[in-house]
Amino acid sequence: MKQNPEFLINEMTPHLHRGPDWLKAMRRSDRLGFNEAELPPRGIHLWRYTDPIRFMMDIDTATDADFTGALDAVVKAEAEHVKEGRLAALVTDRGGRDIDVQISPAGLPQGVIIGSLSDASESNFDLVKEHLYQMINRKSGKFEAMNGALWNDGIFIYVPDNVVIEKPVHLFREAGGENSATFPRLLVIVGRNAEVTLIDEYGGGSPDRNKGISFSNGAVELFGSEDSRTRYVSLQRYAPAMNSYFTHRAKLKQNATMLTIPLVFGGELCKQSFGVELAGAGADSKMYGLLFGSNRQHFDNHTLHHHSAGKSTSDIDFKVVLKDRALSAYTGLIRIDNKARTCEAYQENRNLLLNPGTRAETIPELEILNEDVSCSHGATLGPIDEESIFYLKSRGIERNEAVRMIVGGFVQSTFKLVPEDLKDRLSDFVATRLETI
Amino acid sequence: MTDKSPLFEFKDVHVEVEGKEVVKGVSLKIFAGEIHAIMGPNGSGKSSLSNALMGHPMYSITKGEAYIKGESILEMESDERSRAGMFLAFQYPLAIPGVSVANFLRAALKSHRGEDADMSDFRSLLKKEMAELSIDPAFATRYLNDGFSGGEKKRIEILQMSILNPSVALLDETDSGLDIDALKTVSAGINRYHDDSKGILLVTHYQRLLNYIKPDHVHVMSDGKFIKSGGPELALKLEDEGYDWIVNQTTVGA
Ligand SMILES: Nc1ncnc2c1ncn2[C@@H]1O[C@H](COP(=O)(O)OP(=O)(O)OP(=O)(O)O)[C@@H](O)[C@H]1O
Ligand SMILES: [Mg+2]
Repeated sequence: MKQNPEFLINEMTPHLHRGPDWLKAMRRSDRLGFNEAELPPRGIHLWRYTDPIRFMMDIDTATDADFTGALDAVVKAEAEHVKEGRLAALVTDRGGRDIDVQISPAGLPQGVIIGSLSDASESNFDLVKEHLYQMINRKSGKFEAMNGALWNDGIFIYVPDNVVIEKPVHLFREAGGENSATFPRLLVIVGRNAEVTLIDEYGGGSPDRNKGISFSNGAVELFGSEDSRTRYVSLQRYAPAMNSYFTHRAKLKQNATMLTIPLVFGGELCKQSFGVELAGAGADSKMYGLLFGSNRQHFDNHTLHHHSAGKSTSDIDFKVVLKDRALSAYTGLIRIDNKARTCEAYQENRNLLLNPGTRAETIPELEILNEDVSCSHGATLGPIDEESIFYLKSRGIERNEAVRMIVGGFVQSTFKLVPEDLKDRLSDFVATRLETI
Repeated sequence: MTDKSPLFEFKDVHVEVEGKEVVKGVSLKIFAGEIHAIMGPNGSGKSSLSNALMGHPMYSITKGEAYIKGESILEMESDERSRAGMFLAFQYPLAIPGVSVANFLRAALKSHRGEDADMSDFRSLLKKEMAELSIDPAFATRYLNDGFSGGEKKRIEILQMSILNPSVALLDETDSGLDIDALKTVSAGINRYHDDSKGILLVTHYQRLLNYIKPDHVHVMSDGKFIKSGGPELALKLEDEGYDWIVNQTTVGA
């Protein structure tokens, strides 16, 4: 698969002809959106740190996804957790080709739908049509339009009003090996006073750049109805030679709450955007992210909290740990509309740089169009404080172990919020990275 | 066993911080079983000396020697000094967010023993030592010094000492910030720890601590030097008369 700055989506691409007519029309519209949009200008605003050409994949030269099997063990273990009732359901999505759903023996509450988007776009036509492409479409940007045109199959989750799914639903998305391109898509609708926890995990991809890279471009739309409670964990643990682009948008109505946990570990190049619109009074969004970069990984993350309704609250804590030559750019935008009075919005980005040669950039952006708000943002970046290391050393703990403990402490507040079922694996990811300190 | 050689000793130690010499040649021998107290005005170099002896990266020993059980410590990393038997209770202990008191102590103990302590043994040890120091068991799962009051931090320092059971303990103003009851509990903890195989060097401003912990020797530090040494009676005199008389005496004599 080649990069091609001139790439255009061909009318004959099979993806464009999937689904009912209304869906085909949306795909075609996004195809045009992609083809007509200029490449984002390099060096400006959200593209200051990342070259958009890296995502201009000529997918006509992509080979069909070849699944490496590297993740089979994880899927197996998670399937056990479903059987044991620790997870409500496990959905495996292999490159958007097969969507497979396993449900815990206890079953799902009445009316819950967990399945493929292609099924839902036929059988739950109204629901899907009303929400899909609402927040992520050709207007969002060139690469969002690319996903809108080219996603093959995706996942659909619907939790009816007043329904609580107690255990997490694990979505397991596997990308193909070298030279493959995948376009994962997810639509989630959480009804009034309903509750759900989602673990949205992205893995797979090319393990070796010399054999060829892999590409993923994902889109996630989440709708939180009045009084709903959603926890959404995005776990990105792609193989080392993956270039990934990912857009997440959520909209919260009155008194809806959402906890978003972006966990970012994998890939060679990863650009992501997490955005929540607070569209009803009393809506509350919390985003607690954790990124761990090593080697020459390049991360470019955006968060957006858009307060379009008054009396809404938001909080972001995006933590970054970097070693070797890894780079992280973080841009956090808080937008408060003029009509959105008495909002509270907080944002923090902390970067721990474990050695010289790492690089962190942090860009807070505030667009606050009324005075009646309480808003703060902060950022820190630097190495671990030598005094803290000394304190641990003075108790007999060796330097490397002291560093591990302090980093472990730094990420603890995020860990605490992660669903139980994910905790052990998450500790392992962090521990593996820290082994070579 | 005749113990002629000191347990802990330093000779002509000079300490520099931020390019400034703040300790200007001090020497001391601590024999097993002894308690030494250092008193002296603010800024005289007491903490700088203790920190430097423990290997704090900001306080460098530019000249002098220091030994624990005859072994030179100056080439050792701080963790090696700790494992060799040194302990410093800090005047201002730092907070380590996200690291619980229990996990921290378990890691420290592991580094001393070279192996993980059995979980249930460790739990009962921790529980016992916390009870002795009247520390609420809930502190075990709290993050180290994170949001602790001044007095709580000092108790946690002594808890660490009790669990690590060092040969030489440097206690830097462990009494400051303690209320009257806490002072009694903490002093009792220090006395429980101390026996004739241990040495203590405590830094304090107040005689009241010395009512509970009886020093064998008292040293007065001023402007980076020990300007007078004596027995416990010296602390009492300082309590009554302050430091001026000695400082004047030495300047006149100089
Ligand atoms: N980290 C530092 N940076 C700059 N100067 C320092 C630092 N630490 C100590 N000093 C200076 O060194 C001198 C000695 O300070 P030190 O803290 O050792 O005194 P002390 O005797 O412990 O005082 P106190 O009784 O107030 O605790 C002071 O002048 C102090 O300002
Ligand atoms: Mg001091």
